[in-house]
Amino acid sequence: MNDIVLTIGWFYPELMSTYGDRGNITCLLQRMQWRGFQANIVSLDREASLREIKKIDIFVGGGAQDRQQEIVMRDLRGEKSKLISDMIENHTPGIFTCGSPQLLGRYYEPAFGKRIEGLGIFDMVSVHSGIGVPRCIGNIVVKTGDFFNKYKDFKNYNNYLVGFENHGGRTYLGKNVKPLGRVVMGFGNNGEDKTEGAIYKNAFATYLHGPILPKNPFFADLLLSLALEKKYHKKIQLEQLDDELEQKAHDFMVKRTLAA
Amino acid sequence: MANKIKVICLVFIGKIFSRLSRLFNLGNGSTWPGQIALLIFPEILTYYESHIKKGIILVAGTNGKTTTSQMLSTVLNNSHFCVIHNSSGANLLNGIISCLLINSDFHGRLLADYAIFEVDEATLPQILHYLTHKNLSIILLNLFRDQLDRYGEVDNIARKWTEAIRNIPKEAKLIINADDPQTAHIGIHAARLVYYFGLEDKNLYLKSKEHAADSIYCPNCGEKLIYHGVYYSHLGVWECAGCKETRPKTHLNNWPQPITGLYNLYNTLASVLTLQILKLSDFEINTGFKKFHPAFGRQEVFEIDGKRIIILLTKNPVGMNVAIRSIIQELKLTSGNKGGYFLLALNDLTPDGRDVSWIWDVDLEELVKNSIMLICSGIRSYDLGVCIKYAGCKNFIVETNLLNAIKKGLHSISPGESLYILPTYSAMLEVRKILTGKKI
Repeated sequence: MNDIVLTIGWFYPELMSTYGDRGNITCLLQRMQWRGFQANIVSLDREASLREIKKIDIFVGGGAQDRQQEIVMRDLRGEKSKLISDMIENHTPGIFTCGSPQLLGRYYEPAFGKRIEGLGIFDMVSVHSGIGVPRCIGNIVVKTGDFFNKYKDFKNYNNYLVGFENHGGRTYLGKNVKPLGRVVMGFGNNGEDKTEGAIYKNAFATYLHGPILPKNPFFADLLLSLALEKKYHKKIQLEQLDDELEQKAHDFMVKRTLAA
Repeated sequence: MANKIKVICLVFIGKIFSRLSRLFNLGNGSTWPGQIALLIFPEILTYYESHIKKGIILVAGTNGKTTTSQMLSTVLNNSHFCVIHNSSGANLLNGIISCLLINSDFHGRLLADYAIFEVDEATLPQILHYLTHKNLSIILLNLFRDQLDRYGEVDNIARKWTEAIRNIPKEAKLIINADDPQTAHIGIHAARLVYYFGLEDKNLYLKSKEHAADSIYCPNCGEKLIYHGVYYSHLGVWECAGCKETRPKTHLNNWPQPITGLYNLYNTLASVLTLQILKLSDFEINTGFKKFHPAFGRQEVFEIDGKRIIILLTKNPVGMNVAIRSIIQELKLTSGNKGGYFLLALNDLTPDGRDVSWIWDVDLEELVKNSIMLICSGIRSYDLGVCIKYAGCKNFIVETNLLNAIKKGLHSISPGESLYILPTYSAMLEVRKILTGKKI
């Protein structure tokens, strides 16, 4: 058992960690260790080499302010960008929250300054509606989409994802991505079409923070099992953990948000 | 003349309202009169300005507003100045105007030498819009990530401050934290008289950087800043390799502090520098400080049957990190390495910020390592519990009800021992109500 190891790649922790995003990293790490597996965290900062990126089994990206987002995009060019695109194309799992989905789409138009070209991995675009337009802020509940059906045998499976959203940008999906789910309460991608997030291969983009993984532990386990299956070329059964407290936190917020 | 009549009516309503709310323990008497005034006479601030003889002092920043303004008002009062101060912590425009109304006489006159207002980050631009007083001092303490759902990102606040400061009276003085690149940047480009405070003590440098640091990139050009040393969060001795913007030289970097904690050293420096600019002598400042008592919920101590309860308001990751650091230091001095008893209370009402994700940016591992008992309480006690669990804590109690949580905490300690309560804002008011039986 002990030789099972995953390497978690944390996108620009100094620049893109605004809304408690570190919790997603801690959550993946602990849920590996509690099961007797190992996990390494690698910071993918500006200094990160291609060799380091190649070793990553799960990518995790968080939120950033517009200024920081631009610094990241200046760095994510050329070979680095191509390598990450290839890895996601080859089914390396990733969870990208808040600001980072905007980077993975085709482009992002910030409130100030020029359009920022994205990596183009996800078929979607994001636009900031301007400083006068209210941001999308509040608790959000999403009903999971079809993609999740095949994971219903997870003991901690839940129909709802819960989190908090706070974004000025609005995201519009293209044909080649599927939404993560349907907004039951909150704004989601753009506050218009009821979609939230995007799925491409094994990579997930979402405006939900909170952070999303410890609040929705089955989603964390889903990422781990996708990563384990890809790395070890077989299904690895994940031992069920005691998620009583996580479920209570989850259910409390679903109930309260839907009642509002 | 019409304005004067409006003001007299408002004062009348305000005073009655404030009495009634105190009588019936409603707890919101410090904002309603101002709210009404804003509706019928929004320029009331400009009207009152001329009644304040010697000067107006505004205190802004994420952390330390209440303590700093408390220091200023204690010293000025002690030197026999007539001071008005929004000491209840109501720091939005409605609270500040209420404070003016309640302190007026029934003729709508205000007799004050100084007005000290702590001002909410988002309110600073609004209040500056109305003020034309030539003896205006503005203290900028710091900018940390705080209530992102209400204020937006830190850059956003900094931008609004910069714009608002562009139009302040030419004679206005700025008192600015040089160690915070974000506030210092505002000072450097302000074209007004700026006085800087900051630390000059290498012994206080942190050994490793905290997680909840915001402005490690240059506010001027976006390049990564070089730090020769960090005091806490992103406060330190900084310099930009790109555009060469550098931490300004300080006018004050040391003073005996009337209350412990590194963050309170900054508050001390800010208030002393301001008082020096107002021409108070060092002797007056130090005698004033002897009378200083912390404001409610800020290291406030209660004693019940020989057991101590210490309340430390914690409302954002940086504030909570420094609070944890100072408690651990205190524990090491007083109880050896035994550890402490803690009650954390997390609410998500409007004054707390509805987004509680910030708790994941706190270095809770330190608290877990140094605790004998940890109770998670408040509306979002489960979220707090989850966060504590992932920080590696195996033994903790989740008790949503604050009264029961306090009882459990008190029950676990012996006389002579202390229970540290770290609540968010509305939870702090609730804790105080439980302990004192009344609202602020």
